[in-house]
Amino acid sequence: MKRYDCLKAIAPHFGEELVVTNIGAVRHEWQALRPHPGNYHLQNLGLTSSMALGLALALPHRKIVAFDGDGSLLLNLGSLATIANQQPKNLIHIVFDNECYESSRGAPTATAGQADLAAVARGCGIANVVTPKTLGDFEAEFLRALKGNDLCFILAKVEPGAGDVPAAALDSQENKYSFVRYVEKSENLKILTATLSRASDVRGK
Amino acid sequence: MIREVAAEIVDALKEAGVDFVASLTEANLHDLVVALGEDSAIHHVPVTREEEGIGICAGAYLGGKKPAMVMMNAGFLLSANALATVCIHPGIPVLMLIGHSGGVGEENAGHATVGALTEPVLQAMHIVYEKVGRVEDIRPSIRDSQTLARSSRRPTAIVLNKQALR
Repeated sequence: MKRYDCLKAIAPHFGEELVVTNIGAVRHEWQALRPHPGNYHLQNLGLTSSMALGLALALPHRKIVAFDGDGSLLLNLGSLATIANQQPKNLIHIVFDNECYESSRGAPTATAGQADLAAVARGCGIANVVTPKTLGDFEAEFLRALKGNDLCFILAKVEPGAGDVPAAALDSQENKYSFVRYVEKSENLKILTATLSRASDVRGK
Repeated sequence: MIREVAAEIVDALKEAGVDFVASLTEANLHDLVVALGEDSAIHHVPVTREEEGIGICAGAYLGGKKPAMVMMNAGFLLSANALATVCIHPGIPVLMLIGHSGGVGEENAGHATVGALTEPVLQAMHIVYEKVGRVEDIRPSIRDSQTLARSSRRPTAIVLNKQALR
C-alpha cells in the first residue's frame, strides 16, 4: 500500500472538510489531488496532530482531517494523550507510517523497530483505532470515520515512496491567508478583521 | 500564586477576548491552571509538552478562537522551534503568559540559567514582551499584549516574575 494511492482513494470523498498536512511529500501529493483552500500545509515536523486538534476544538461541528506521519507523531507522542482527553468527535487522525524519515533520505524511524503507534494511541485512551492493511480497507475505514461522529485514529502502514506529482507552490503566508479567509467565509467568522485598539478606546473615554 | 491573582489573570484574559487556553502547570502556575479549568468561558486544554500547546493554539486561531498559552520559561525555551515555524513564519498570533523561574526573587539555584536565557531568546525571536512584577499591572499588560498579538499576527509574551505570581 502506498500513501499516494491511499490519498487518491479518499480524495473524491472530500467536500468542505478542513485538512492539515504534515511537512514532507504528503502535502504536494494532497495539493495535487485536492487543490482546495481548506488545506493547511504545516511547515513543522511534529505538530500536525496538535494543529488539527486546535481546529477541531474551535470548530466542533466541522470535520477535521490530519495527514500525519510516523516521524512527525513520534516527535509529539504526548499529543495522543491530549487528543484522547479532549475527545474531539470531529477529528480524523490519519498516520501514514512508512517506518522511515522519507523526506530526510530514509533513515528508519522507531516504528521500523519495536514501536507501534496504534498501540500507543489505544494506550493513550483513543478507543477508535483502526489499522487497515489494504487500499480497499483504508478507503472503507476513512468513509466510516467521515460519516461517523467519533474521534478516529487510522494507522496505515505504507511503503516508502512519493507520488509522481509536481511540487506545489505553497507559500506559508499565502496558505494561511487563503485558509483563514475560507474559514471566515464558510463559518461566518471574523478572524483577520482589524479591531480597534482597546488601549485607544480607554484613552478615548 | 494566590487564588486572587489567578482569578485576576483569568478575568483579564476574558476581558481581552481570550476564549481558549493551553497550559502546562508548575507550582507557581497551579492556582491559575485550576482556575482556567473551572472557567466555563474558556476552553482549557492541559498539554503534555509546551510546544504541543503552541500547535493547538495556532490551530484554534485558524478556527476562529482567541488563544493563549500558559507555561513556565523552560517551556517557552522548549517551544522556540514551534513558535518560529508554526506562528512567526505564517503569521499566527498567540498570547503567551510565561512564568519566570530564575528571575528576580528566585531562591532555587537550578533555575538560574533558564531564567537568564529567557529574555535574550524572546529578543532573538523578535517577540515583543512585557515583564510584569506587580498584580495591578497584569490586567493592562494582558489587554495590550493581546491587542498587539492580534494586530501584528505574531506571538507576544508577558513574563510574570515571582513577585507577580505570589
